[in-house]
Amino acid sequence: MRTFSNIALLIAVVSMRIHAQYADPKELLKPSPDAWLTYHGEYNGQRHSKLTEITPENVAKLKQVWRFQTGQTQAIKASPILMDGVLYVTLPDHIWAIDARTAKQLWHYEHAKNNAFHIGHRGAAVYKDTVYLTTPDCHLIALNAKDGKVKWDVVIADSSNGFWSTNAPLVVRNRVMVGVAGDFDNLPGILKSFDADTGKLQWTFYSTPPPGGTEPKSGGATGGQMWTTGTYDPELNLVYVGTGNPTPVLNGDARPGDNPWTCAIVALNPDTGKLVWGFQVSPHDTHDWDAAEVPVLVDAEFNGQRRKMVMQASRNGYFFVLDRTNGKSLLTKPFAAVNWAKGIDELGRPIPDPAKEPRRDGVLIAPNEAGATNYRPPSFDPKTGLLIVNAQDGYGIYFFKPDHGAYGWAGADYNVAGKSYLRAIDYKTGKIVWDHPIGDNAGGAGVLTTATGLTFSGDNSGNALALRTSDGGTLWHENIGRMQGAPITYLLDGKQYVVVGGGSSLCAYGLTEGQAAK
Amino acid sequence: MKTLTMFCAALVAACVGIAQGPATTTGQASGKGAGKVAPRRPDQSPASQPRPKSETSQTYPAEQVRQGGMRFAAQCGFCHGRDAAGGESGPDLTRSKLVAEDTRGDKIGTFLLVGRPDAGMPAYKLSDEELIAMVAFLHDQMDKFATLGGGRRSVDPSDLATGNAADGRAYFNRTCSGCHSPAGDLAGVAKRYQGLALIRRMLYPSGNPAPSPPKATFTLSSGQTITAPLAAEDEFTVTIFDPLGGRLTYQKDKVKVKIDNPLSAHFVQLGKYSDSDMRNVYAYLDTLK
Repeated sequence: MRTFSNIALLIAVVSMRIHAQYADPKELLKPSPDAWLTYHGEYNGQRHSKLTEITPENVAKLKQVWRFQTGQTQAIKASPILMDGVLYVTLPDHIWAIDARTAKQLWHYEHAKNNAFHIGHRGAAVYKDTVYLTTPDCHLIALNAKDGKVKWDVVIADSSNGFWSTNAPLVVRNRVMVGVAGDFDNLPGILKSFDADTGKLQWTFYSTPPPGGTEPKSGGATGGQMWTTGTYDPELNLVYVGTGNPTPVLNGDARPGDNPWTCAIVALNPDTGKLVWGFQVSPHDTHDWDAAEVPVLVDAEFNGQRRKMVMQASRNGYFFVLDRTNGKSLLTKPFAAVNWAKGIDELGRPIPDPAKEPRRDGVLIAPNEAGATNYRPPSFDPKTGLLIVNAQDGYGIYFFKPDHGAYGWAGADYNVAGKSYLRAIDYKTGKIVWDHPIGDNAGGAGVLTTATGLTFSGDNSGNALALRTSDGGTLWHENIGRMQGAPITYLLDGKQYVVVGGGSSLCAYGLTEGQAAK
Repeated sequence: MKTLTMFCAALVAACVGIAQGPATTTGQASGKGAGKVAPRRPDQSPASQPRPKSETSQTYPAEQVRQGGMRFAAQCGFCHGRDAAGGESGPDLTRSKLVAEDTRGDKIGTFLLVGRPDAGMPAYKLSDEELIAMVAFLHDQMDKFATLGGGRRSVDPSDLATGNAADGRAYFNRTCSGCHSPAGDLAGVAKRYQGLALIRRMLYPSGNPAPSPPKATFTLSSGQTITAPLAAEDEFTVTIFDPLGGRLTYQKDKVKVKIDNPLSAHFVQLGKYSDSDMRNVYAYLDTLK
């Protein structure tokens, strides 16, 4: 069986070499070390690389190899894709293909001007010889990986209703799954799958009922947008996606009950788009705490038993470990300042304290609206069992009065203060093993870990950081402008590189000749 | 070599600081450090003030307003709302004093070039044409909303008047009086701040002007200590204001420095307040007129 898959892998690798700029869908299952083919690098969302050239001993000698400037004012919030020596990096309405050896631009595609929100973009996706880009006005565009020519262009949702997209698509076999965002209008939560070759719609999953729907259990809530990239377990054939907060956002009276499947981790069958199970990390959310953070898939021991788990450090300040075969809770623990729950229910869900719902004379809430973490991806280090997450201890004040209505935001909230950390959570206990302070208010950088015990991320002052995974000690830093995406790493011509976004530039780092062995 | 020169410069600057007395130079220096932007009035949140109107009557071609609205929705709408009346994190600009005082971009244009990065507002470079369109849209929205009233993110001072001032004073005396006094730094605080602005300032008095900015104390090899107002700090560097408002940055591994931030106590307190404590202390501070 193993030999068979090795042969399949070999064939995949060989065919990749023959077709430049080509990702066989099978290769996405087991990407080679000289590629970073999906948003998370691998389907499990661990963002953990097995590469070993860069070590705690030599990382202090990392040197910038090149810096690619997008020439735009917006910050890179994307994870780039590396396929056959070409990097694909995005900003809202933009994608660049650049030579990973020289940072020379090979092509640049710019989408038509539009007035949807341009707040950020998480990245592209690849399949065969196609690169996929979502746009602020909710188009999904298939581009030829070689020259950036448009193959097809479909609309995911009508942006004039208030949807926008920042999503890096998730490709499983010939399915391109894309979500949208939309908090300022009462809109259903939508995830769609399109045929990777033709752009034909395959299915739509609604996390809250579509307009005219009869499903009563959402309690009248809309929202639950799936605006970040999910993860995938090929054995179970399940896709895991985090869903956003309900709308109206701060007015909970307008939507009684738990409001499923908002603020939830949902497990979907990628062939049908049907829900297999769902777990609400914030039942009846009234604080804008999307559960859109990465559902990280880990196969390891828990309480003496081998488990297939999904874990999420969620924006609401709680860390969740679930059995990913059935969505049953294994562990729920706070990982940041929290004051909004009365306890944990028998299903493992925090019980929202009604006294902490937004009210006319204000409530002081931890975390604040920016959250205990947010879209920035964490990383799981299998050796130490640590989930390393860019976390914030934050406080905000939340208000709601009937004048604020029941549409869109429907309330008022203001940040008070926050302090952020790169924070290491032991998945077995939920305990914080170390904290590395990175500045005031919410951070923006994602995290990458490697097999040599390194953690790459960034602080709030523009420093790219390499830390020791075991204790969070600093081993290397360089100020490159604030990092708002997650670092990636890969081999190119046998050498390991780390690529990070700083401000609106993309920077590549490596060791110079002779340093690797030291 | 460079570090050495930098250090000497700081030494001179800091010595001047000592001569004048650190307490008084602190506020002046930080004020000048931020001097490029039109100095912000005390941190008065627009949401708790009566709605302003554009002070000079301005009309713009409809097409310009439309163009500005397109750009505003795309670039600014997430934080400030598509209609500029407040979004996920940014204030309601239809109540903005800066917009009210602006004439054809003279204030907005200057502000956009610098932004307020520490509060999450990035700087934007716009062409003259783009800027005037944006300005046209903002004035148009301000005028529209002035006739509509209401406001999606409004918090009125009367909304907050549910606390008990006597209980608030008792809490204050137990918890806050080590650093603050009603006859000293807080005398008349309720005249300067009302409603949302007062409660936010009470919880965490950051912003401009900071009532008590953090300080960096350097210890020289001679054992002498020099204190200067802190401008910024990260894991590797410390930046101070010199008495002229300029900024000097030192590598932390080259100097011996200790940071004293009075705001730390406020942050710790955020984890201790009950909601009724918060409302009671607010009610007490609201009596200090």
